[in-house]
Amino acid sequence: MKNRSAARATTLAKPLPARSMAALSLRVFGAVIALMALTTALFAQERTVNDPNLVTPGKLTVGTGDPVYAPWMLNNDPAGGEGFENGLVYALAAEMGFAPGDVVWTGNSFDQTIAPGPKDFDFAIQQISVTGARAQVVTFSDVYYQPEKAVIALPGSPVIDATSFDDLRTARWGVTLGTTDADYLENILGISDAAVYSQQVDVFLAMQSGQIDATVFALPSALFVTAVQVPDAEITALLPSDANDRGHGLLFEYDNPLVDWVNDALTNVIDAGTIEELKATYLVSDPDLPVISE
Amino acid sequence: MSWQQRYLPALISVASVTAMVIALSYVVGGSEAWPRIQAQFFNLDAMRQAFPRVLGGFWTNLWLWGAGLVAIGIWALVLAVMRSMTGPWFAPLRIFTMVYVDLFRGIPALLLVLLFGFGIPALNLSGLPSSGLFWGFVAMVLSYSAYACEIYRAGIDAVHDGQRAAAKALGLGQWQTMWYAVLPQAIRNVIPALLNLVVALQKDVVLLSVIGVRDAVREAQIFTASTFNYSSLVVAALLFMATSIPLARLTDHLARRDRARRTQGAG
Repeated sequence: MKNRSAARATTLAKPLPARSMAALSLRVFGAVIALMALTTALFAQERTVNDPNLVTPGKLTVGTGDPVYAPWMLNNDPAGGEGFENGLVYALAAEMGFAPGDVVWTGNSFDQTIAPGPKDFDFAIQQISVTGARAQVVTFSDVYYQPEKAVIALPGSPVIDATSFDDLRTARWGVTLGTTDADYLENILGISDAAVYSQQVDVFLAMQSGQIDATVFALPSALFVTAVQVPDAEITALLPSDANDRGHGLLFEYDNPLVDWVNDALTNVIDAGTIEELKATYLVSDPDLPVISE
Repeated sequence: MSWQQRYLPALISVASVTAMVIALSYVVGGSEAWPRIQAQFFNLDAMRQAFPRVLGGFWTNLWLWGAGLVAIGIWALVLAVMRSMTGPWFAPLRIFTMVYVDLFRGIPALLLVLLFGFGIPALNLSGLPSSGLFWGFVAMVLSYSAYACEIYRAGIDAVHDGQRAAAKALGLGQWQTMWYAVLPQAIRNVIPALLNLVVALQKDVVLLSVIGVRDAVREAQIFTASTFNYSSLVVAALLFMATSIPLARLTDHLARRDRARRTQGAG
């Protein structure tokens, strides 16, 4: 970040003329004025759309998955603004002073998002759970949503009649890599031999071919998957949340100074009731689902 | 031989390697990014934490590798013998193996693992196992045996025709000639090439992780996903190296011994 402003200072200083010795004092004076103007400009720019800490000043660059899934983002189109997470980003952008047209999306895989090194986004949003261990490598915003977990199975699965954790343990489980679902099974249910698949779709392939009996998903994803993607599958029960999983946060490159600005905007957005509205629009759950808690 | 001729080359090798390592560690260790790299990839705490589960997964790799070697060794030999049968009656066998090799050598192993591991269990065939692990394993065996078959065949083709003629003169039939005269020589000829394949297979069994098998790589990925720290992948890499490097030296040794034997025979 420092390098970027230094580069700008030199390009601004260059055009100053160097004709005669007499002009020296004038040049020094001019340079001082220019530098002062530049530094005040830089300070003034913080927390504005031209904040020099942005990947592209003037734009808000947001990373997300590719493809993206409902109900977090509808129609596989982050820029469409329809969905819980892209709705939240456009509300945040408005709060921070960006026009909707100045929000730029970059699609990354989860692995790319968490890879070490500089990021090509200001922050990423992809249902990423905040955990203590992860926070040592990347910087998270405040939590914007804490999902419940849901058990998903096909008809005939042994988990359908389960009423206790013991019943659940008798089933064969599968989860998606990169989610906190494997940790959840291990920490809360004590299941450590779950099959771990690279992608969500592989979990369902394995379920349909009888290799696993059940999987666990964040409730909103579970609602969408069972309603649209895999209509054969159903949510059989809800599970208590994991105390180690603090909920979903925005992911920043480690120590990115933008996080305070975004957090303030997020607080305003939450206070304005936007999250509750988005929840009511996109993340509605069936109130009659059974809950298994021990 | 003077001591200079005997020890100097070795001394120079040691000295130059040491100088190289020092220079490299100076350049890498002195770089600005090194503390971050160390924390992300060579974090001893994270390595210690990830080690038990990565090692647990590694046994799965070793087990798959061992079972794969036996299955591939036998099946590829059967294929190679079928391919080498002479006479018009064996034409279907020869054509079968040709198509087989073209097919399974032409398709990436990863694709086969996905197709078999997810596809066949989805058919719900009665009487066949529905385990993705089993079918993924079958895919690996089919793919690797196509390569191994070609190696065997090269060995069989390299056996001099005089050997066959001699066996025939002794009154051996086609099968007996193959079994007693051709194959022992053919296999001995291609052992270094086969061992190379053995080393490659040891690492390629990690492909089975895509169908849900919790091997060393998948366990390491799980650790990385929950901590965003990559040291677990380095642990997995070290485990693979600890087994493949001795094997590579053994391959070198066998190849050297083989060469010595041949030159002796020629002399």
